[in-house]
Formats: sequence, C-alpha cells, structure tokens
Amino acid sequence: MSAKDHAAEDRDLVIRASEGDVEAFTKLVRDNSSLVYRVALRMLGNNDAQDASQEVWVRVWRNITSFRGESAFSTWLYRITVNTCLSIRQKEARREERELGDEVPYLPEPSGGDADPEAAALNAERREEIQDALQHVRAEHRAALILRHMEGLSYAEIAKVLDVPDGTAKGWVSRGRAALLIALAQQRSQENMGEGDVS
Amino acid sequence: MNARRQEDAWALLELIGSYAARELEGEEAREAEQMLFNRSDHRHLAESYARMLVMLSTLSVEPVEAPEVIVSYAVRRAYLSAFLRQAEQVIRGLVGDYVGALTFYFGLRPAQQ
Repeated sequence: MSAKDHAAEDRDLVIRASEGDVEAFTKLVRDNSSLVYRVALRMLGNNDAQDASQEVWVRVWRNITSFRGESAFSTWLYRITVNTCLSIRQKEARREERELGDEVPYLPEPSGGDADPEAAALNAERREEIQDALQHVRAEHRAALILRHMEGLSYAEIAKVLDVPDGTAKGWVSRGRAALLIALAQQRSQENMGEGDVS
Repeated sequence: MNARRQEDAWALLELIGSYAARELEGEEAREAEQMLFNRSDHRHLAESYARMLVMLSTLSVEPVEAPEVIVSYAVRRAYLSAFLRQAEQVIRGLVGDYVGALTFYFGLRPAQQ
C-alpha cells in the first residue's frame, strides 16, 4: 500500500472512529501502535514507555473529533505522543544536560567494526548506551533529534509536530545532536576510567 | 568555561554536527570543510558525529513492536467509553421523556401538537 493510500485509509478510519466506531479505532491502534511505542521508548526509556503509550491512545480516543485532517494522521499522532512524553517528563525531576567541557567530545571507533551501517549492528550494550545518553539531552531537543534522525521526518514536519517555527526545529535538532554526542563521549570516557580502575 | 566561550564551543559543535549530517550547503559547508582541513581535533569531532549518526540510523531501522497489553488496554478503554456514551444517551433520553411526561401531567407545559 502506498503512503497516499495509507493516509486515505487512516483518514477514513479516523472519521469512523470519531463517530464512535470502536472497530475503526481498534484498527488505527493496531496500525500505529509501534510508532507510538517506538517514540515513547526513545523519549522516556523502558520504564515509562508502556504507560506513556497507553496514555497517548486514551488522549487520541478522547480528542479524535478534533482531528480535522489538515495534516496527516501520523503528524497528529506524533504530536500527541511527543506532548504526552514531554508532560510525563515535566512531572519528574529535571535531568541536567551534560555540560560542555574544554575538550572536544570524541567517540572512539568501535572495536572490530567500522562505520558501515551494515556492519554496525548494535548490540544490547550499545543500544542501552544510546538510550541512557538520550536521557541527558533536554526533552525538547531530544524530541526533535528523535523525530529527525530516528523517525526520518523533515524539518517542516518536525516543526508541525512540535508546533514551533522551522528554524527552531532545526536549532533543536542541532543542539540535540551535539548534546547526545557529549553525553555519549562522557559515558565512554567514564567506562574507560572504570576499566582502568579494574585493571 | 565562561558563557561566551561556552556559546562559541556549542556553535562549533553544532556546525560540525550539521556538516556531518550533510545539512550544510554553500558558504557554511565550505566554512566547515576549512575547519576540518585545518585541525585534526575537528576532523575527529566530525568522525565522532558520523559514528553517532550511524548508530542512530542503525537503531532506527530495527523493528520495535508495541507490547500487546498497550493495544488491548486502548481498545478496552475505547469500548468502555463508547458503552458509557451510549448509556448516557439512553438515560438522558429516558429521563427527558419522564420529565416531559411529568411536566405535561402537572400541566406545566401544554402538550406538543
């Protein structure tokens, strides 16, 4: 099914769901549950992703009559997902973004691999490392970074989802990218220091 | 590091990050290339960005399945909510009819034609 057909089908399901058709809503949930869960997982980590996803679907059902089809359903869904994740984060103690030190952050080349995406299948440890580092990026910047580099959205789409001007979306992605690199580099250097202590 | 230096450091970091993500064009791209050409630490920074972006894109293509419990919770809630909405409409209709009948019985409003 093409993206256009998919969008048309989503629109039809939304119209039916907004009239109270639970079967149509069920289909929407099934078709889009991985999108919601994936973003929540990247934004919040394992512990909160499930609760956040459930809350997203409650909000979607509650507000589905307000969806007017001016943007794609996926854009609207991304917006609800990101807003839900941001509101969950706001309730918690604010995590500090890692500070930029005097040294230029550096990520050493992984042992036994090169930068070829085919060869760089991520092991569980590295996946966890990225997930941890993401939590040290300010929530808005993290959202923009995830939408750009993990969901593949354009800056115009990110701006729509986050309800900010295009320039702001671009700036947030850029800052998020830098903050993630700093967090990853600091994690690696702490790991290396730890290994040094052991040996 | 003072605020001004912090700001400059972030600007440099972000410029090289945008270059590594292939988002720069024209004069900005040339400026970044000049910086990489002149300093090895900047080249290392660009390489680090490239590695990080590879990790992110590798992670992004890995399939993520939502646990079934999320779907079933959402559907259950929707059914319950739809049931309550219908029940509310039925009750509202019944109560409305009953009140209408009482109003008519006590002669508070003339019967509708």
